[in-house]
Amino acid sequence: MSQSTVPRSPKREGGGGPASPPPKHRKPGALRAGGPRRDGPPRARGGTEAWRHRLRRDYPLILMTLPVIGLLVVFAYIPIAGNVIAFQFFSPYAGDGFFQSMANSAWVGFEHFQTMVNDRYFWDAVENTLVFSMLQLLFYFPVPIALALLINSILHNKVRAWAQAVLYLPHFFSWVLVITVFQQIFGGAGLIAQVMRDNGWGDGFDLMTDPGFFKWLITFQVIWKDAGWGIIVFLAALSMVNQELYESAAVDGANRWRRIWHITLPALRPVIALLLVLQVGNMLTVGMEQFLIQRTAVGVGASEVLDTYVWDRGIANHQFSYAAAVGIVKGIFSLVLVLAANRVAHAMGEQGVYKKQ
Amino acid sequence: MPLLAACGSGESGGGGEGRSTEEDLKSILPTYRQSDTAIDPDIPSENGSSPGYTTFIPTAELGVSVPTPKGNGGTFTAMTPLWGTPPRAGNEYWTAMDEAIGVKMNWQTQDGNTYGEKLGAVLAGNDIPDLVCVPSWELGGQIPQAISSRFADLGEYLSGDKVLDYPNLAAIPTAAWQASVFGGALRGLPMPGAPIGGVIPYYRQDVFEENGWSPPTDPQEFIDFAKDVTSAKNRVWACEDMKWSSFVIHGVLPEKPNYFAMVDGKLVNRYETDAFLEALEWTRKLYDAGVVHPDAVAVQGDSKNRFTAGESLMFNDGDGTWHNLVAEQQAANSDFRMNAFDFFGADGDPVLWRANGANIWTFVNKTLSPDRIREALEIANFCAAPYGTIEQRMRGYGVEDVHYTIENGVQVRTPLGEEQVAPETYVFICSPGSFVAYPDTPQMVEDLTNWQKRMLPFAQEPLFFGRQVQEPDRFANLADRFEALEDDVVRGNQSISDMQDAVAEWRRNGGDQLRDWYQELLDSEASA
Repeated sequence: MSQSTVPRSPKREGGGGPASPPPKHRKPGALRAGGPRRDGPPRARGGTEAWRHRLRRDYPLILMTLPVIGLLVVFAYIPIAGNVIAFQFFSPYAGDGFFQSMANSAWVGFEHFQTMVNDRYFWDAVENTLVFSMLQLLFYFPVPIALALLINSILHNKVRAWAQAVLYLPHFFSWVLVITVFQQIFGGAGLIAQVMRDNGWGDGFDLMTDPGFFKWLITFQVIWKDAGWGIIVFLAALSMVNQELYESAAVDGANRWRRIWHITLPALRPVIALLLVLQVGNMLTVGMEQFLIQRTAVGVGASEVLDTYVWDRGIANHQFSYAAAVGIVKGIFSLVLVLAANRVAHAMGEQGVYKKQ
Repeated sequence: MPLLAACGSGESGGGGEGRSTEEDLKSILPTYRQSDTAIDPDIPSENGSSPGYTTFIPTAELGVSVPTPKGNGGTFTAMTPLWGTPPRAGNEYWTAMDEAIGVKMNWQTQDGNTYGEKLGAVLAGNDIPDLVCVPSWELGGQIPQAISSRFADLGEYLSGDKVLDYPNLAAIPTAAWQASVFGGALRGLPMPGAPIGGVIPYYRQDVFEENGWSPPTDPQEFIDFAKDVTSAKNRVWACEDMKWSSFVIHGVLPEKPNYFAMVDGKLVNRYETDAFLEALEWTRKLYDAGVVHPDAVAVQGDSKNRFTAGESLMFNDGDGTWHNLVAEQQAANSDFRMNAFDFFGADGDPVLWRANGANIWTFVNKTLSPDRIREALEIANFCAAPYGTIEQRMRGYGVEDVHYTIENGVQVRTPLGEEQVAPETYVFICSPGSFVAYPDTPQMVEDLTNWQKRMLPFAQEPLFFGRQVQEPDRFANLADRFEALEDDVVRGNQSISDMQDAVAEWRRNGGDQLRDWYQELLDSEASA
């Protein structure tokens, strides 16, 4: 995690020393590994010198990121070039190996994009994706924050560790298992339906096959599975809060709610802003397996999201070019969303995912 | 290549379009020669039914079709579907099979239920295993192109009398080889199947008899009966998803390439028939009546478990399920009995469409050297050993006293056998002509062969029966949407008129051209 997520501690506010004046002859493209940190060397003058100094200071961090950068290059950046097939009628069987097949496949320009715009199933998928994302933003996103505050308020260490373990656990279940558990409880032959039948309260209770209820069902499933796991980063932020602040606020007569409002929440603000930016940037990636497993139960119309749409066209039905075209569009819109959300974060005075120059 | 040249308008993708003519097949197909080791069945084949074997053959009396290991110790990677839990690599069964064949197999098994997703990705990549199994129901999209461009033409090793080097392959029925010609060349090693039995409607005979019920005999009676016997309060539902049975009951045409029929001089596709819509409507009524187990509606869990647990009383599956369930329940629930009820038609007699001679194949990577291909064929030859041989016993049951023991004159699987041998793998590489041989469940052998004999008089050959048809690339994705739509319609999430719209769209988007293309195929064959 980049250091911008670390909440500003009170200590830093006081003791950073005077920020160094910006170096006058910065080498173009010089590595600014320090990022937002301003407590640089007091006497750094030339760009090279500053660069060297930063390198000496930050090389362990750089070394630690190298494997990740390597992975990104191999698995994210190089494959981007493969997107050219979105402008072809690509058949992997037109030649031996990818490049020969590509050379032998016909170019079709923007045909796939045109097909996509005219496909009502695509727009269904877009709509579902956005609706599911909005619901998760509204109902899932606040839950880990609330849970973190709750856990943080438990003083008994054993109880706290136990509660955390219980909350983390569902995260490690696969979606197949989570949905099976839901089926056993909320399905037509599940616990609730059987209890209702036994008591003559009616027949036909079944939340798992109702297309209209599906959006609530999946939000509920996400909360149950992942809200506990989501508290970790908030707990980390909370652990950075200077306990003396609480003590002095209490001495000044602030009650529990006022302490949360004035001390805890401001401390969480940068993390919340960062996660919000990431969540908004990920709006078009709302999940995959969860929807694939429940696809037939509620129907494609209710459950198709962009990722399952791409899976269906690309992997299940081998329309690789078309799936690539949809993937490109999704990528572009996700980038736009991240930038927009980040801008909002900056406007709110937060750092977002990267620092404004 | 003597295929349909008139229609090949410069499309990309390997292999010839159209299908091999009967004349071509004469030079492509292997010679048939009955196995020396074949033994007479207890229940002889009638009218194409599978021969049945109910008596146990002591190990000492088994024939030998592969006296010494024929492999040269080569290593082969093989990708096959696997239903169940994959056994660990290097287990006793796989090792024993490898030693008997003389090769080293590296199995890359994939979950059978999602096999198609893996298959498409693997074939599109550069790292294709040496042996790849492809079931006919995964021939959608560009898979046929993949088969003709990535896998070896085995004709050079098997056509005509060349097959006699591999006696067990020579004993495979010609109909199975005929269905293994892809893109004008013999590419598939077949797993021959019975002409009917892809979908069998099973019922819980023990429960039915206990209650004095007899299986329904027409579509309306089925619905009424299903409503009567469903008792959700007692966790009993009449059936699982019966869509596939409904297709048979309503005589719906099978899948590609057998999905056209000639009606009044015009080709009609399965999706355009009234029978198709009626079949969906009937299934929808079942869903609507609440007689389908809710977990089946939600597509969760395993229908077989619900059936053996008595939560659902009827379900449909292939004929392979029958023995597994009966054998599994023999120990767990000795009262358990299942049988298949007779298909009835929507009005009177049913129409069962005959299946091609083989519907599952394994293909050999074309990058293998001729020597490696011959070695791969030795693997197939071993796997295709007929019933009554040491090789077949080993393939089906493993090693005596390790994977099975002989109790009361029949072989019984040990827990190790259940773990390692029951999840089948070698059977997909190649198998002998269809037979039903389960001395441990003789009643089931009789029930299945009797069901075949009762149903075969209603079996018909579809118009393009028996051979593969390679359609042009542009039609590859025409019918992609239908299966999901069918499931939506029967569950009431889309309407019959949505389906009609989809069919109209199918016609506009190329369905009519597809029809013309098939018509031209017929015309060119007639004029040839």
